[in-house]
Amino acid sequence: MTGLVVHKLTVMRAGRPILDDVSFTCPGQGLVGLLGPNGAGKSTLARLLAGQPEAHAGAIRIGEEDVTALAAARRAAMIGYMPQAFTPHWDISPRMLVEMGAARRPDLPPGIVRSALSEAGLDGHGDRLWSTLSGGEKARALFAAVTVADPAVLVVDEPGASLDIGHRIRLMGRLAARGRTRLVVAVLHDIELATAWCDRLLVMDEGRLVAVDTAGAVVRSGVLATVFGVAFETMVSGGVTIARPVCGRD
Amino acid sequence: MNAAITPPRDGFTIRLAMLLGLGLALAVCVGLAAGHDWASPARLLAALTGDGSLDSRLITDWRLPRVLAAAFVGALLGIGGCLFQGLFRNPLAEPYLLGSAGGAAVGATVALLVPLGMPQAVTLPVLAFCGAWSATVMVLLIGRVSGVVDAAGLLLAGVAVAAILGALRSFLMLALSDESISLQVVLSWMLGGIQTPGTAGLAALAVLTGACLLLALTTARGLDLLGLGEDMARSFGLDVKGFIAVTILVGSAVVAVAVAFGGLVAFIGLAAPHLGRSLVGPRHRPLILASALIGAIAVVLADALARAALPPAEIPLGLITALAGGPFFLVLLARRLRP
Repeated sequence: MTGLVVHKLTVMRAGRPILDDVSFTCPGQGLVGLLGPNGAGKSTLARLLAGQPEAHAGAIRIGEEDVTALAAARRAAMIGYMPQAFTPHWDISPRMLVEMGAARRPDLPPGIVRSALSEAGLDGHGDRLWSTLSGGEKARALFAAVTVADPAVLVVDEPGASLDIGHRIRLMGRLAARGRTRLVVAVLHDIELATAWCDRLLVMDEGRLVAVDTAGAVVRSGVLATVFGVAFETMVSGGVTIARPVCGRD
Repeated sequence: MNAAITPPRDGFTIRLAMLLGLGLALAVCVGLAAGHDWASPARLLAALTGDGSLDSRLITDWRLPRVLAAAFVGALLGIGGCLFQGLFRNPLAEPYLLGSAGGAAVGATVALLVPLGMPQAVTLPVLAFCGAWSATVMVLLIGRVSGVVDAAGLLLAGVAVAAILGALRSFLMLALSDESISLQVVLSWMLGGIQTPGTAGLAALAVLTGACLLLALTTARGLDLLGLGEDMARSFGLDVKGFIAVTILVGSAVVAVAVAFGGLVAFIGLAAPHLGRSLVGPRHRPLILASALIGAIAVVLADALARAALPPAEIPLGLITALAGGPFFLVLLARRLRP
């Protein structure tokens, strides 16, 4: 595993480009934020990175492996995917979910499920039914299930959409912690959190990649204002440049 | 839902297995005793220990094979229900409601009424399987093409397919029958009824049931994953397309065997997995085993009732399960559709 290479990725739907000739590379570790307005193609890119089926042209490689050609089991061990919405059809427990996530790597040590639940702060909640969990508990259980097999790449689609600000910040903390040793690509809507936590940012607009750089450089470039049509103010906190939308109430 | 106070249910504990096994044994005893004259426990014991009297021969030679056949058919219906609910990710899916059993019945009707130059023992299960498979694929395709994913929509597609197949079956019966074939036989089979099999038939049914159970168990892990939704299932390593295709084949085989030996029996495939889920939780390996046992118990009891309720007449088994299972289904549907 030496990093992610996306080469000339194009997805057409009903004659319209959803992804338009997207190319970029990422090193094998770090938290990469994928930003852009609605309909920019973020989720489609995330699905493709995760090896989900989408008709496309172009190539995605992780190290030497072609992601779209990987066998299902190999891909599952290598790439973790948290979709935008997750609702199991049966009333499962967090333990069952984490067990299913762990089953994709046969070489995991025994007791890994318990420690993953414990790390997710679900001690004593492992056997509760899904329908009784809070939104935060559901998100933590899903995160534990996806990361228990320690995939080299983690793709996350709008992880905080249904979480309150406290849970959202703690989830960003978990993603950043993983980013220290693994590659994490996260579709994010919260620009403030994205600029505060991400190492690198990819900015998309109408299917095209319009910026790829370190978070600080992207913030300073002003591309966010162009793409979102909103003014941003920047502040520096602890050496990190954070962008915050100007809400227009004065 | 009062799920907050529900204790964790995960797995097929030994205690539960023993309990369901005991239930099945009791049901078999009731089935052996039931008839237009009820056998006393003493007579049952005498017959089973082999005292050779005419009375005992009635029980061991006539009732026992039929009760065992009922148990196997019930187990198949339970397994089939599990597979279909897992496949459609819907607790209201059932082979009978989704047209799969109806498809098997069309195939079986052709086998019963058309001389195909092959023994019926071969053509009946093969054609039943083809019918079940094509009906299931059709419902899935309708669902996929129309983008229907919710319970009500899928069931409507299934009901429409089942209605078409029912009409087709009636047409075939009218068009293909002549004096040489007794429609009565086809009709009574269609209403659902366990025939009393010969030794060879019973052995075949036992082997097929065992094979179906093993095949069904190999799909358990995939069904668990599929229950997470197709995207998550895929990201956890399931080849979703291939798995669905294989599981439709397995489910159709299960339904075909059940229909070939028991006719059209409604709602067991709905109720057995539902009860099973409340006993062992949503994991499919224990659920398939529990549903098989529950289905067996239910059909053995329903068949006993069919023989004993209105002697000397026999009520079609399918009527009994529909009368008992229909309201069950309506309650589930009402709960499911409530916003």
